Amino acid sequence: MRRLLLALAAGLVCVAGAHAQGPRVEPPGGMLPAPGLGGPTDSSAPPSVPIESATPELVVDLSRARVSITSAFQGESILMFGMFDPPGEVVVVVVGPEARETVMRKQRVFGLWLNTGRQSFDDVPAYYAIAASQPLQRLLARGVGGEILSLEDRMSTVKPVGSRGSSELARFRGGLLEVKRREGLYPAAIGQVTVQAGRLFRVDLPFPSRLPEGVYEVKAYLLRDGKIVAAVSRPLPVGKVGFSAQLAGWADHDGALYGLGAIAMALFAGWLGGAIMRRL
Amino acid sequence: MEIYLPIAEQSMNVFVLLGLGAAAGLLAGMFGVGGGFLATPLLIFVGIPPAVAVASQANQVVANSVSSLQVHWRRGNVDLRMGMVLLLGGMFGSSAGVWLFTYLKSIGQIDFVIAVLYVIMLSTIGLLMLVESLSTYVKRRRNPGAPRGKLHTHYLVHRLPLKLRFYKSKLYISALLPVGLGFLIGILSAILGVGGGFVLVPAMIYLLGMPTAVVIGTSNFQILFVAANVTFLQATTNGTVDVVLALLLILGGVVGAPIGSRLAAKLPGVVLRGLMSVLILAVAVELLTELLRTPSSLFSLGTREVQP
Repeated sequence: MRRLLLALAAGLVCVAGAHAQGPRVEPPGGMLPAPGLGGPTDSSAPPSVPIESATPELVVDLSRARVSITSAFQGESILMFGMFDPPGEVVVVVVGPEARETVMRKQRVFGLWLNTGRQSFDDVPAYYAIAASQPLQRLLARGVGGEILSLEDRMSTVKPVGSRGSSELARFRGGLLEVKRREGLYPAAIGQVTVQAGRLFRVDLPFPSRLPEGVYEVKAYLLRDGKIVAAVSRPLPVGKVGFSAQLAGWADHDGALYGLGAIAMALFAGWLGGAIMRRL
Repeated sequence: MEIYLPIAEQSMNVFVLLGLGAAAGLLAGMFGVGGGFLATPLLIFVGIPPAVAVASQANQVVANSVSSLQVHWRRGNVDLRMGMVLLLGGMFGSSAGVWLFTYLKSIGQIDFVIAVLYVIMLSTIGLLMLVESLSTYVKRRRNPGAPRGKLHTHYLVHRLPLKLRFYKSKLYISALLPVGLGFLIGILSAILGVGGGFVLVPAMIYLLGMPTAVVIGTSNFQILFVAANVTFLQATTNGTVDVVLALLLILGGVVGAPIGSRLAAKLPGVVLRGLMSVLILAVAVELLTELLRTPSSLFSLGTREVQP
């Protein structure tokens, strides 16, 4: 029975996934296990899937295995979908790689606005999104805090560099949240996790065009009576591919060669342009 | 049509960038200056980070000056000796400028400094041009046959040591002045992503007393190497040169420049300069309002760093 349901679920989300991707559909590249072939466990899932249970209570997959930043990249929406054993609630958390961020604050000096204050924070995730199948506050209020953090709770864990008064720190923390939200990196409302037929769920994860690279982590939790009964984590690599990747890699690893290449390109283009212009 | 700029790390409309390049090319064709001084602020207006805008614009200046230099070189309008002396200062100036740029970026003040320098520079040049073109216009109407002013005046230039003979420019002046001038233009070039022709050309005419015929070619000679130096140093120290962005600007410029030179042939010089000064002043005013207006958000982020 469970096997059958899973096959049905995979079939359903396959259709839903193709729908959500809109016109720029790429071949899914074998990300979706063929119904009935892969068995009950997704063979491509990382080892964080609880192995001891032969029939997992929570199975997830992503509509794409990675976010590819190509020359035509304008941001992307990735669908996370899966199935769980009812009853329960599903929470999905996406975390980008952590790094140090420096927040700068403007102040009016002689009528001009310029940056006067700055504060660095460590452990700042590049991206953070959280969604649940029920209002998040209600779920988190029941004592799963610590493991699952709302955006605000996560922000309170970023470590300030150096010392500063707490009210000032709070302001800079607020500023960090504000800028990240504006850039679409901490999407405030990615919408609820939608549940169908009591056990199938799906949620869209929006990624803006200005997206830091790295390996993101997409985690799904199954909650029952305020306790985590199952958790699945999938890595989601975000990176430039093709021409963009080559250029950026070149600029990163060999700035001198890249600089010379840029000059050569400009010399050639300018010479050619000039030659064409004289003919006109 | 959107294109992802790999160094700016954001997507941008191709036609906006081509249009910007064309506008700069139009100016280049009309006035014989690079147009970078308008392209860079406009790039910043459309949302390119200032550091990337400046560095990529320097790359564009390389292309711009090489196509202009071709013409002047063939006509023999380059004073190579003067160009070398200017370049000596220019190389030091641009290197110092990139260093200063990197420092200002690290303390989070580069955007502000770029904006302030542009406001000062554009408003000064715009006002001078406006006054000059208006007064010329008025004078011509009143007194069409007025004699021109003195061609050659002797200033401080002639009293400084290290005098050098510049045959092509018919000058015997101290090398210190062109070296110093090159140095200043180099700094400007590195921080603002401009060739600096619009400052260099008047300075060569009025300050050094060079004959107008060789001024544009010689300034292009110096600008070519200074811009190449800035591109190289920005790529190695800050990694902010976006070749895709630069290439789009160059392509736009190739289209814009011939249109500009045709326009220039049709309109009288006074009108052209008047129009240009109004355009420059408009950009200066816009930049100044950005500095004065209460920003929509007080906060911004610096570059992401790997945690120590």
